[in-house]
Amino acid sequence: MRLLVLEDEPALRETLARQFRDEGFTIDEAGDGVEGEFAGLEYPIDIAVVDLGLPGRSGLEAIRAWRKAGKNFPVLILTARDSWQEKVTGLDAGADDYVTKPFRFEEVLARVQALLRRSGGWSQPLIQCGAVALDTRAQEVRVAGEKVDLTAFEYRLLEYLMLRAGQVVSKAELTEKLYEQDFERDSNTIEVFIGRLRRKLDPENRLQPIETLRGRGYRVARG
Amino acid sequence: MARPVPSLQSRLVLTLAAVLLVAAGAAAWSLDALYRNLGLRAQQDVLDAQVIALISSAEIGADGRLVPQNLAEPRLATPGSGLYAEIEGASGSWRSPSAVGSGLAFIAAPKPGERRFEHVRLSDGTRVLALSLGVHWEPETGAARDYVIRAAQSLEPWYAQLLRVRAGLVTGFLLLGLLLLGGLAVALRVSLGPLRRLEREISDIEAGRRESLGSGWPRELSGVTGNLNALLVGERKRLERYRTTLGNLAHSLKTPLAAIRGLLERGESAPAALEPQLDRMQAIVQHQLKRAVFGGSGATVADHAVLEPLEQLRAALAKVYADKGIRMTLAAAPGTAYPIDAGDLLELAGNLMDNACKYCRSAVAIRATPWTAAEWRRPGFVLEVEDDGSGIAPAERARVLERGVRADETVAGQGIGLSVAREIAAAYSGTLEIGESRLGGARVCLRLPGR
Repeated sequence: MRLLVLEDEPALRETLARQFRDEGFTIDEAGDGVEGEFAGLEYPIDIAVVDLGLPGRSGLEAIRAWRKAGKNFPVLILTARDSWQEKVTGLDAGADDYVTKPFRFEEVLARVQALLRRSGGWSQPLIQCGAVALDTRAQEVRVAGEKVDLTAFEYRLLEYLMLRAGQVVSKAELTEKLYEQDFERDSNTIEVFIGRLRRKLDPENRLQPIETLRGRGYRVARG
Repeated sequence: MARPVPSLQSRLVLTLAAVLLVAAGAAAWSLDALYRNLGLRAQQDVLDAQVIALISSAEIGADGRLVPQNLAEPRLATPGSGLYAEIEGASGSWRSPSAVGSGLAFIAAPKPGERRFEHVRLSDGTRVLALSLGVHWEPETGAARDYVIRAAQSLEPWYAQLLRVRAGLVTGFLLLGLLLLGGLAVALRVSLGPLRRLEREISDIEAGRRESLGSGWPRELSGVTGNLNALLVGERKRLERYRTTLGNLAHSLKTPLAAIRGLLERGESAPAALEPQLDRMQAIVQHQLKRAVFGGSGATVADHAVLEPLEQLRAALAKVYADKGIRMTLAAAPGTAYPIDAGDLLELAGNLMDNACKYCRSAVAIRATPWTAAEWRRPGFVLEVEDDGSGIAPAERARVLERGVRADETVAGQGIGLSVAREIAAAYSGTLEIGESRLGGARVCLRLPGR
């Protein structure tokens, strides 16, 4: 999952970036509205966490610009002023949810995960595709009720595919979303991880939860 | 420095003085013109009568001159009397004895049957009005001849009278104008009295000698004084609230501060040990900030149509609670409006609606209606927010509204919304009641009185 942190206070921005990275997110950081607006328009981000009170161009303007350009990734706003006026303005500009400062990271994370789930069309924290169940809150995966141990990267890969269940996800997209932009990119690595994931989820190769579409990518069947 | 603005009184008096001057001038001028025309007409009538008298007594003499046989008007016989006559003919003229040495010279030479008036001057400068009448005389014997019969009268006595009348007119109008202006000044003084009283009472309020404006204002001022009093009450409440908030904030931060100091003194510096205290301080700050938010702008005069902000809130909450799939219905009686700060309205309704969304199962109903009473010029406002959650037990209700008065005495984040809403409502002299909803959950009713 590629997440944009738009926050002008460096300490808070870096803390958020580090905490989200620890949770397996790929992070883009921006410290002002202009930079943030550009990142949202140009990078293939999945969700943005936006501080409203930015110097220069405000977070609101950035959100409006994204929405105007047809970008519909979810946006979570961080507000320091806990007034309904500000919340309503932010949500009206195109944001999807808000968190009031100061906050606990767990709360921000929960909201981000809920928004991602919702943008994938899932309304429950538990995502079920066939025998595979993914709990976005506990970050747990169960197959037919049995817990499966996954590495952080494997979990992120499965989560990304399951949130987009029913859609074909290309290897290029997976590389882009799951790796930091400066990392070496090698689509073979994705193939290796998909192979490992299949073995862990379906050791006997009966369920086949992840389908390969030659030359196009991978798909997890919905339902 | 700004130019001093002229007082209302001097504005009124100066304007009225100018108007009076023009009006009185016009009135005096037209009266004078009327009098002048009538006077001139009378003078002309006198001359007409003289000419007719001359004709009736005139006869043609042997020398062919037309001469009056007897002078009925003694003034014609008296030199310098002011009344003159002349009969001019082809064979010579007759002049009244009064015209001797007067230097009277007529200019008009009317044809027979023609009548002409003219203004001429005598040699001593006397202004005279003259009438010349051309006649075609046919005697019983002899040939017909043309004559001009003239009469003239000095205008000086009449002019002197005209001047006296004019002096009277000017004096009269000046006196009338002064009387009117004086009366106006008195009327202004009397009617502006309440304004001076208002000024005095406001400066008393500034000086702290009184709390609010008294009663018994004239109808034109009662709106202003009523609003001023409402503003004063609002400001006082706001000030009180700030004081309380500040006091509460400072007071409630003391406990965690003391705890941290204690921890540090014990040599405890692990982040985990400090965390509960930090959480507590954070909760306190958040709580008190939430209370301090409302009434920020202080502008409470504009009537706010309530539907639009409620719609905004509904759209915002629908996003925030998208997962719950809440059916949120919103009904506002058309034209429901209330003079409230826009931020306060959002805060009030936002807290109530957020609460309902938080505790409902799947349905929230919001209804806004005006609240009218005979003694209010502006209606009040009722907002009902209902949900289908598990409701609030009767025993809990009072406590929920009081909850979080002191953040350090309660669990942070629990139901602060309702007590904040209650405080905002109180700032507008309103009330908040909790009851049971037909939907099955809680029904929170906010009532803001009219004015």
